[in-house]
Amino acid sequence: MPSIENWILDLWIIATASLVAASCAMVGVFLILRRQALMGDAISHSVLLGIVLAYLLAGTNTLWVMLTGAVIIGLLTAWLSESLHKLSRLQSDASIGIVFTLFFSIGVILVSLYTGHIDLDQECVLYGEIAFVPFDTVIWGDMETGTDLGPRAFWLILIVFTLVALSIAIGFERLKTVTFHPSLAVSLGINITFWHYFLMTLVSMTTVASFDAVGAILVVALLIIPASSAYLLATSLKRMLWLAIAYSQGSVWIGYALSYWLDSSIAASIAVSAGALLALTLMVIQIRKWIQQQHYAKQLQSGESA
Amino acid sequence: MAKLLLSTLFITLIGLSPLAHAQLKITVTTGMIADLVSHIAKDKAKVQALMGVGVDPHLYKATQGDVRKLSRADIIFYNGLHLEGKLQPILQKMQRRKTVIAVTENFPETRLITFDKLHDPHVWFDVSLWELAAKEVQKTLTEKDPENAAFYQRNAEQYRARLNELHQWVKQEMQKIPLAKRVLITAHDAFGYFGKAYDLEVMGLQGISTAGEFGLQDIKQLKDVIVARDISAVFVESSVSPKFIESLVKGVQAEGKQLRIGGELYSDAMGAKGSDADTYIKMVKHNVHTIRNGLLGKTTEQETH
Repeated sequence: MPSIENWILDLWIIATASLVAASCAMVGVFLILRRQALMGDAISHSVLLGIVLAYLLAGTNTLWVMLTGAVIIGLLTAWLSESLHKLSRLQSDASIGIVFTLFFSIGVILVSLYTGHIDLDQECVLYGEIAFVPFDTVIWGDMETGTDLGPRAFWLILIVFTLVALSIAIGFERLKTVTFHPSLAVSLGINITFWHYFLMTLVSMTTVASFDAVGAILVVALLIIPASSAYLLATSLKRMLWLAIAYSQGSVWIGYALSYWLDSSIAASIAVSAGALLALTLMVIQIRKWIQQQHYAKQLQSGESA
Repeated sequence: MAKLLLSTLFITLIGLSPLAHAQLKITVTTGMIADLVSHIAKDKAKVQALMGVGVDPHLYKATQGDVRKLSRADIIFYNGLHLEGKLQPILQKMQRRKTVIAVTENFPETRLITFDKLHDPHVWFDVSLWELAAKEVQKTLTEKDPENAAFYQRNAEQYRARLNELHQWVKQEMQKIPLAKRVLITAHDAFGYFGKAYDLEVMGLQGISTAGEFGLQDIKQLKDVIVARDISAVFVESSVSPKFIESLVKGVQAEGKQLRIGGELYSDAMGAKGSDADTYIKMVKHNVHTIRNGLLGKTTEQETH
């Protein structure tokens, strides 16, 4: 018996996933253009250090403490790899790899030194499960009698989405110049360092809030895949951003239907759908190219025979 | 029996109480709890577990269908004591709208094992504690469905008698092993309660979580203990990769000492349907046989012939 209550659950899940997907897609566009696509993956590992340090300093593993620790370490990962890249002229993927493996390893050592007997890893305390989002609600006031305000993850990611969208809308021209023509930006008197770090703050915030809502693998997929699909088609930054958002929303809807059909993990199904959309785009592009070649060949032939 | 059937039929026909004919929908987290609830509710409930057969709770991934299992359940039972990780606070929030019960809820503090303020969640290996869990399940079922109170009470009493028998049996079996050799070495610390209840020393390579890494120091210490106490077997677990324990065995053998893998123990999950550990009681028996034979130096194969 289908009831309205059950549909509302689906709606909360899709709404949360859509917001996560859109935020990741927007941030992902800049990561792809700056050749830092694996930043999300890097942050997903280095947050372990943030969680452990936050636990050791604060003495509890409450979610808010863990989130703060994770965002700060995420920021440090992004900042440090950026600085290492500029300072040492190492490639950006190499510097990302150096920083996150270092942070992750320190985290592992601290876990085995200080927290041997408790369950403290990012899988347990930070990464969320999208299927449980509708049940994890914010309650205003008393636990027993207070009002239920809806899923916590939804509100958190709504705030992040708004911040990301506003930042990109307001800073669009600056971000564009800094991304495509850094030297021009310098000559125009734009503070490049500020915008680099501003972007990295957005990345860290988005990834950590998304980890909490949907878990790590989906975040990494949503940061890279929709933006890459958009990259294949777009002719301008603005168009790439819109395309990336469109691809991300398509992945969420197709993925959710897939998970319903197969009774499988929602996050994995969305990630697979994002990949399938990318493959489809590639195929369409190849076919169009092939048709165009045939067309030119024909024109050439008819030109010769005339 | 005929009377009960007739009255059920009567109530169903006039539709006085929907609960009388509709089965209770019960969702539980682990296979062990599903087994426990099924023994007490029998055909009065449809029991579904979130974590499938052989799934380590640390590595459980939810599916789309789990959303429905949770939202449509009349009662949700879970282990508690942080076994369900991030799911636990969510389940606690659901208590506002549903009957959501941790089977360990009313365990006395003195019976629990504590590590820095947090409890060890693997309570099911002390069979007498699992009896307390059976009590909790019976109480909840009775509150939710008072009409079948007598039915639940009878089932619970029967099952608890079986558990009690099992508890005594495990005690006897473990006492057959000489005290000095009563050391259980496995890949992770899931057997704390087992050791406490049946007087074994328990040592593990990993911490409480199966996701953690272990240190070189841990391996060295274990090796020293094995050599000093002349321990003949260590054990692998169904839900943890055997490679850590295998490397420990090779390390000890390299020093010229006899050590073998005593067999596979079920720790965080029961065995697959049709295996010799597909119920809670069978799982405990399998583990006890394996541990006893391993530590006494017999092979499990000899036992079956």
